[in-house]
Amino acid sequence: MMGGAPFYEFGRFGEGTSLVIAVLLGIAFGWFLEQGGMGNARKLSGQFYFTDLSVLKLMFSAIVTAMLGLFWLSWAGLLDLSRVYVPETFIAPQIVGGLVFGVGFATGGLCPGTSCVAAATGRKDGLALIAGMLAGVFVFGEAFPAIDRFADSTARGAWTLPQALGLSQGTVVGILVAVALGAFAGAEWLERRAEHPARPMKLAA
Amino acid sequence: MTTDARRRPGIERALAVLAIVGGVLAVIAGSPARPTRGSVDVTELARIVEHEEDHVTAMELARWIRDDRPRLRVLDIRADSEFADFHIPAATRVPLAEIARMPLDSAATYVLYSEGGTHAAQGWFLLRARGMTHVFFLRGGLYEWLEQVMNPRVASTTPRAQRDSIRALTLWFGGKMTVVDSASATTTPSVLDGELSAPHKSDTRETIRKIRRRAC
Repeated sequence: MMGGAPFYEFGRFGEGTSLVIAVLLGIAFGWFLEQGGMGNARKLSGQFYFTDLSVLKLMFSAIVTAMLGLFWLSWAGLLDLSRVYVPETFIAPQIVGGLVFGVGFATGGLCPGTSCVAAATGRKDGLALIAGMLAGVFVFGEAFPAIDRFADSTARGAWTLPQALGLSQGTVVGILVAVALGAFAGAEWLERRAEHPARPMKLAA
Repeated sequence: MTTDARRRPGIERALAVLAIVGGVLAVIAGSPARPTRGSVDVTELARIVEHEEDHVTAMELARWIRDDRPRLRVLDIRADSEFADFHIPAATRVPLAEIARMPLDSAATYVLYSEGGTHAAQGWFLLRARGMTHVFFLRGGLYEWLEQVMNPRVASTTPRAQRDSIRALTLWFGGKMTVVDSASATTTPSVLDGELSAPHKSDTRETIRKIRRRAC
């Protein structure tokens, strides 16, 4: 039964084919982000003022879709979850990295992926952010010898929510679906509040 | 925005229902993990074992670690307490049972070791069965590491360049190389030439104690 996906891991196709597929998926990803208005820094910034929570809804849609797909494909024996790459966790460095990322996102209005989308449609702020991103990568690379001890600290390996919470994967899936739907409802409520200035909201002042 | 004309409330509701159903059923299904089944090409494995391509020597492993070989994963499959006593730098402790189900990286090079070589060889087979191709084990186990890397005894007749390279590697790991007469170097039983097929636990303990005393 086992041994369908991930196709690359099981040698169904080679490095070259996988790169071609990656390019096609990347183009599709960018196209759909643009269709969702994610190349627009003004729209993305709305998230930080609780006026437009598209990013939150998009992220949760993607998470829930991928999560349910992986879970049920694995359950059906079409996918070997143990062969799906899980990024490693480094608690302290990732908190610091997350804060830096957040500052950049709130300041520029775009995240790395959406800045590429914005640049592809010719938006100058997107180009500026890509230049900033590359500069940041360069500075990080040059500074790495000085911070590598910190970068490797508080390592937890490939750490997943079921492991951390001691729950079954199915239970975590159920909880996350509930959280996502709750977040959708909350986001829509916030957006409706923001659309009716007759009832001013303190947070969006 | 909520007032986007392109929105289709019907589809949104259907997707929400689908997510709820998928989520609730997932809680009931519990874990998607099926028994992990692997398959092996028996002829291929036999060929690898025959050609002795299934293991690394302690010296090779030491060079890999020192030279930071990309995506090298050294797995120690001994007990927790033994790992705490002493382990090869860069090694992670992974129980044998965990090897059967842990997430794997097909691009990584896995090197397994145990006290002797048996458990590591069994772990090697498990990883091969799970489809990994770059898998090796330390044939003489930790004992070989202690003997060849931490406390190598090199004959005085060994060429100078070779001696220096061994010394540098040993020092890198905090060990100590001893130069001995060519006669006693060859008579020292080595786990590699098969004279000492089953290293005794006490030998490993004793060697670890010696290394500790040197306070490295």
